[in-house]
Amino acid sequence: MIKSRLNKNNYGYIFIAPFIIGFMIFGLYPVLNTLWLSFTNTTLMTSHAKFIWFDNFKALFADEMFIKAMKNTWLLWLLNFIPQLGMAMLVSVWFTSTRLRIKGVGIWRVIFYLPNLMMAAVVAALFFSLFSYYGPVNQLLVRAGIIPEAIDYIRDRTVMRALVVFIQWWLWFGQTIIILMAAMTSISVSVYEAALVDGANGWQMFRFITLPLIKPVMIYVLVTSLVGGMQMFDIPYLLTDGRGSPANAILTNNILMYMKFRSNQGHIGAASSVGMMVFVMTSFVALLIFYLLRDKDAAKASKKVNGGKDNA
Amino acid sequence: MKKITIIFSVLIILTMVLTACGKTAGEKTVLNVWSFTNEIQTMAIAFEKTHPDVDVVYTMIPMTNGEYQTKLMATLGTDQVPDVIALEAAFVKQYVESDFLADLKSLNADVKKADVYPFVTEVGTFDGVLKGLSYQATPGALFYRRSLAKAYFGTDDPVEMQKILGDMDKYLAAAAVVKEKSAGDTFMVASNGDFMNLFYANRANPWIVDGTLTVDPMVNKLIETAKAFRDNGYEAKATQWQEGWFAGMNDSLVGADGKPKQIFSYFLPTWGLPYVLAPHAASADGTKTTAGDWAMITGPLPYQWGGTWLGVMKDSKNLKLAKEFIRFCTLDETNLTNWATGVYTNAYLKAIDPNTPEGQAQAAGDFVGSKVVVNKITAGFDNSELSKFLGGQNSYGAFALAAPSVNARLMQGSDDAIQRAFNDPLASYLDGNITLDVMWQTWKDAVHNEFPELKIP
Repeated sequence: MIKSRLNKNNYGYIFIAPFIIGFMIFGLYPVLNTLWLSFTNTTLMTSHAKFIWFDNFKALFADEMFIKAMKNTWLLWLLNFIPQLGMAMLVSVWFTSTRLRIKGVGIWRVIFYLPNLMMAAVVAALFFSLFSYYGPVNQLLVRAGIIPEAIDYIRDRTVMRALVVFIQWWLWFGQTIIILMAAMTSISVSVYEAALVDGANGWQMFRFITLPLIKPVMIYVLVTSLVGGMQMFDIPYLLTDGRGSPANAILTNNILMYMKFRSNQGHIGAASSVGMMVFVMTSFVALLIFYLLRDKDAAKASKKVNGGKDNA
Repeated sequence: MKKITIIFSVLIILTMVLTACGKTAGEKTVLNVWSFTNEIQTMAIAFEKTHPDVDVVYTMIPMTNGEYQTKLMATLGTDQVPDVIALEAAFVKQYVESDFLADLKSLNADVKKADVYPFVTEVGTFDGVLKGLSYQATPGALFYRRSLAKAYFGTDDPVEMQKILGDMDKYLAAAAVVKEKSAGDTFMVASNGDFMNLFYANRANPWIVDGTLTVDPMVNKLIETAKAFRDNGYEAKATQWQEGWFAGMNDSLVGADGKPKQIFSYFLPTWGLPYVLAPHAASADGTKTTAGDWAMITGPLPYQWGGTWLGVMKDSKNLKLAKEFIRFCTLDETNLTNWATGVYTNAYLKAIDPNTPEGQAQAAGDFVGSKVVVNKITAGFDNSELSKFLGGQNSYGAFALAAPSVNARLMQGSDDAIQRAFNDPLASYLDGNITLDVMWQTWKDAVHNEFPELKIP
């Protein structure tokens, strides 16, 4: 009797084995390989590689471009993400509010989500064309008399950074709305009604009911946005010349990594070290997010239960 | 019943596997050719005509964002390496300087017989070993607008214009004339990027001497000239390959204030005429065209731009056949003549290989690398389409004049990366955002990032 029950338990391992094996091969192995490569000086154009320990990392931290890339990546992500999250929250609250009862929510959701479906290359080419020296924005502003003569936007660091931030915001805004709306609609209306009876206003309901109850989804949104932001590549790469110009204003971690990979000799050892730094940074901040947004009440409750058991 | 079906299925599978193994007799030899355009496929099909026992497997990978270089680098040292590879000017030297290409000394006699332009073999040679050859030569030229030349200089004759624009100082002086006489509505050149090649091609020292980065005086002159052009408004700030640059070719360039602007001259090489200038001479809406209003001269300095070289990978399993393929493409008089005079039409190619894609035909006019062939066919271009485009000037003859003085002895594999690192700092300096010293330092930092082992003074 007991034997068959134990055997049935083992079936669980067999069912999840394919996924684990797939993950090990396609997920874990590349990470370990990158770690290994980052300790060597492998290049694509030479056949021998030496194990050079932390030389790659030492060179990396002494390199101005890497520090710049880190700063840029954080700046571009934060400037894009904070407004994105703020506005997405606001819009989600409005759309899921039972008091406001906005019509055509489905259509609005589609309209906000559509930019996400566009290819990065298309968007980058579009904005590049709009803001080029002989492009429509200059023509419009000069002929309307708003500016005296054409400005070379492509060479302006602030404008290019603002463009990258705007494009990222515009592309991912809809995605965040959909996820937050899904989270908010899962909160039972009776909680809000009880709060209303107790005399809570809109802001108090948001702060004390909505926010705590969507914490798990917030963790998801924050972490996925963090990972995407740290690896921001397609828009800054395609918007200008792929080297973060003007003057490294939009150089991000992944562009630096790609530049090292695509360099004359193909320094994949150095490129892997950039990759490892991105991995370490992202993991650290993600764990920090998990810690800060952990369910403190549940942790306390489980402690009480366990404490009680021991005492009894 | 179950057991019988299992045995049957296994038997069927086994037979299928074994039939796949049985196709060795009567197979053609396979030659793997990689390139980044469809050009060489035309020659590959012609090659199959004279070598019916060879099947050329052609792989095209575009290089717009470097996919070709990346994929090629990934095959080095593996058994996936192709037999013959096409190498563009930007990265040809990198491979010629490496250990990956085979020695082509068996083709030396043919090189002499075809009288190949020196700069073509110079590019493909490293340490005295010939590793790459090209079917084309790509000397550069200066294309100017005839009507504007008549208006500002009183003549549109190429011989006279070559005297007026004979060197960079004269070119700068002429730029002042153009600006003055057109009240600032005509720019001498579209951007400073247009004449960068000229300075880089006429240095006295290579970029890397004994592992140290060296800055040749010509580079300093380039920066001074670029600053002069920018400060005086002689260039239109229409960066190469962008909308404004193309718009200037058909007079549809409009300044932000609404006034139409014109561009006097463009620096383009052999392929620039049929693939860049001619197609863009008609405006997008079809109302304007500048065809017939152009002429070409050698220009202030001789230079070369682009070009495709062919090399054999040392690890190839068909070395002899691969070298024969290269000999056919780059040194065979019949093939080069057919290539340059447009014999390879769609009908011709389809007769050899019915699977030829549409549009594979090679139009006439590509400037080939063999002096023997060039001298033979130049006269045939007197009344060609391109000749009409240049107001009756024979472009083939004009390029033949420019080709002998081009030299590529100082070209190195790292040139492209070092020169590309200049673009952004130079642009910032010309905008007035950074000083000259900061520009040099930024450039040196970028070069250091690309070449960590290079000594930078």
